Amino acid sequence: MSAPEFRHVIGHRFPGGTVAVPAWMNYLWGDAVAAPEDSAPYVHPVLVYYAAVQGAGITFQDIFDLMEASEDSGIMVGEQRFEFSEPVRIDTIYRVVGGITDVVRKSGRRAGVFDIATFELRLIDPSTEAQVALSTTSFIFPRGGAAQ
Amino acid sequence: MNYEVGQELPPLIIEAVDPEKMKIMAAILRDPNPIHFDPKRVSALGLGDRVVNQGPTNMSYLLNMVTRWSGGVPTLNSAAVRFLGNVFAGDRVECTGRVSAVDLAAGLATLEVKASVDGRPVLQGSVIVST
Repeated sequence: MSAPEFRHVIGHRFPGGTVAVPAWMNYLWGDAVAAPEDSAPYVHPVLVYYAAVQGAGITFQDIFDLMEASEDSGIMVGEQRFEFSEPVRIDTIYRVVGGITDVVRKSGRRAGVFDIATFELRLIDPSTEAQVALSTTSFIFPRGGAAQ
Repeated sequence: MNYEVGQELPPLIIEAVDPEKMKIMAAILRDPNPIHFDPKRVSALGLGDRVVNQGPTNMSYLLNMVTRWSGGVPTLNSAAVRFLGNVFAGDRVECTGRVSAVDLAAGLATLEVKASVDGRPVLQGSVIVST
């Protein structure tokens, strides 16, 4: 039986919200990724990605649920993109909006069938409504059928 | 700093990826994927017996290399990275990069960056920095 495709997920909007990255989280992130020094007062650029997820009012499990995948099914990150208009600062409130922008089904002899879901998250300065950062992430959801 | 096409960034080496840092990352990210902290689940998926480093951590290594060289986080304009393979606990990760284009009028330089384990590319992409 073939798995259902997930084109209907395209356009799904996340609840949205606000986020401020506390200094302690930025410090621990820097430690976990062996950063040469604490990036404060600026948020480590890749932590912007998680801050955006949190501020959008979602968890990774929410995205896995939308794609009807369990966390132990071999989900992988395929691609990550960032655009910065200015550096994101710690202890500063940003508004976050975003959603699923694309879902594509692919297949390969080795990989089997898999779905690639892409979502965008925008950090916005609430005082100016200017976009500060854009994060675009693609997750790969294996669906089985790989060659043995 | 003067940016020139072909200029090589000083490489950044992670001598051995630490599985304990993966637990911190899983907690910060609230990432429920057990491949990052449970060796049994990694084995059950046929990936071996070492936990898998989170993609954001691997990308962080690359951007650490860039910002260390370019003058810090405020110099980052954009980044695009493809994840080509898993990085496991204990792996030695080598991050390298070179300047591939310079736009003097815009004040931007494009860097091609790569992270490898035992010569096997695990991440690849490009980063644009302000010059």
